[in-house]
Amino acid sequence: MLNVDNIWVVYVAGVEIWITETILNTWIIMLFLIGLAVIARIKFKSFQEIPRGFQNAIEVVVEIFDNFAVSTIGPTLSYLAPWFFAVFALILFSALSSIFGLRAPTADWATTFALALATFGLMVAMGLKYRRGAYLKTYIDPHWIFFPMNLIGELAKPVALSFRLYGNMLSGTIILTLYYALTPRFVQIGIPAFLHAFFDVLFGALQTYIFVIISLMFIRLAADDNW
Amino acid sequence: MQNLIFLAQAVPDGRVFGLDSQTLIQIGIQLLNAILLAAALGYLLYNPVKEFMQKRTDRIQKQMDDAEAAKARAEELIAEYKQKLSEIDREREEIFEAARLRAAEERKAIIAEAKQEALEQKQRVSESIAAQKERLKEEARLYIIEAASLMAEKYIAQTIDDQIQDKLFAEALAQLEEAQWLH
Repeated sequence: MLNVDNIWVVYVAGVEIWITETILNTWIIMLFLIGLAVIARIKFKSFQEIPRGFQNAIEVVVEIFDNFAVSTIGPTLSYLAPWFFAVFALILFSALSSIFGLRAPTADWATTFALALATFGLMVAMGLKYRRGAYLKTYIDPHWIFFPMNLIGELAKPVALSFRLYGNMLSGTIILTLYYALTPRFVQIGIPAFLHAFFDVLFGALQTYIFVIISLMFIRLAADDNW
Repeated sequence: MQNLIFLAQAVPDGRVFGLDSQTLIQIGIQLLNAILLAAALGYLLYNPVKEFMQKRTDRIQKQMDDAEAAKARAEELIAEYKQKLSEIDREREEIFEAARLRAAEERKAIIAEAKQEALEQKQRVSESIAAQKERLKEEARLYIIEAASLMAEKYIAQTIDDQIQDKLFAEALAQLEEAQWLH
């Protein structure tokens, strides 16, 4: 439970690739989310002017997230909202997947660093797109002698972002693994529900929010010099 | 194809954390997974729903704007009609005022005319009275003359002969004619 198990080892053009539990669980979560999206898309054709039931739920989710993302990142960068919607859904459902006995993909550093790397890539890209030279100048600000420190500071952002989420999710996994391993059977009924609710649902939602809002702020900070 | 992709028989043990080429590959795979998920959710769910809601918002906004414009037009019309009503009131007041002034002038003219007419009437009556008075005086004088003549004739007839009578008559007649002439 604590280790990230390898399910398959695939050789692609001579390169060894480990298909881990994390990757498999990510695919399961992706299938679930894409399945939901397909259902929503099918029902979308019969969407009414006044929303009800399933349509209402879909609209609430999209609207709340869009308002949150746009208010944080600003209207200019609002086209990035779908990416962060997917990131939000992936991290949240990764945490929730623990309830169903799956090892959370976000309890693997490869997942969290991949997402943090995307944030870093977007941060640099948006900085260069909207501020060009002014963004590059931040690396030698206030003097070129500070370049190494500024560079380390920038590179530390995705590392810190990924380890924050990874550490929090792994800690929940460790605690629950220890609980299941060290407690007698009779206390493994009922009580774990509260632990899962706390570590998976509450911590999961909180860490999802923190990861996404910090990512949005990093990108906004890079792209908007008035912010 | 079989040489390109194939499954290995032996699977290495799992681990909690590692920093090697496999970690890099898994980061790449997870990044690709996230991109695929974002593309799928964006295409299937996020963008269509957002577009649908945006169109609905625009439609409702347009309806609200139209209603606002209609309200503004109605208020404009109300203001216009109020303006017209106030103008009509003002015109009515002006007409009333003009009519009052004209009536007052006409009253004055009528009174003045009546006064003039009364004055003329009075003048005419006065003149008529004066003429009547004169006529009565003349008649009275003639009557007195006639009576005096008769009396004188009777007296003379009793006292004087025909010769004196003729002489006196001729004198009296001459006097009368003279007096009449002087009048």
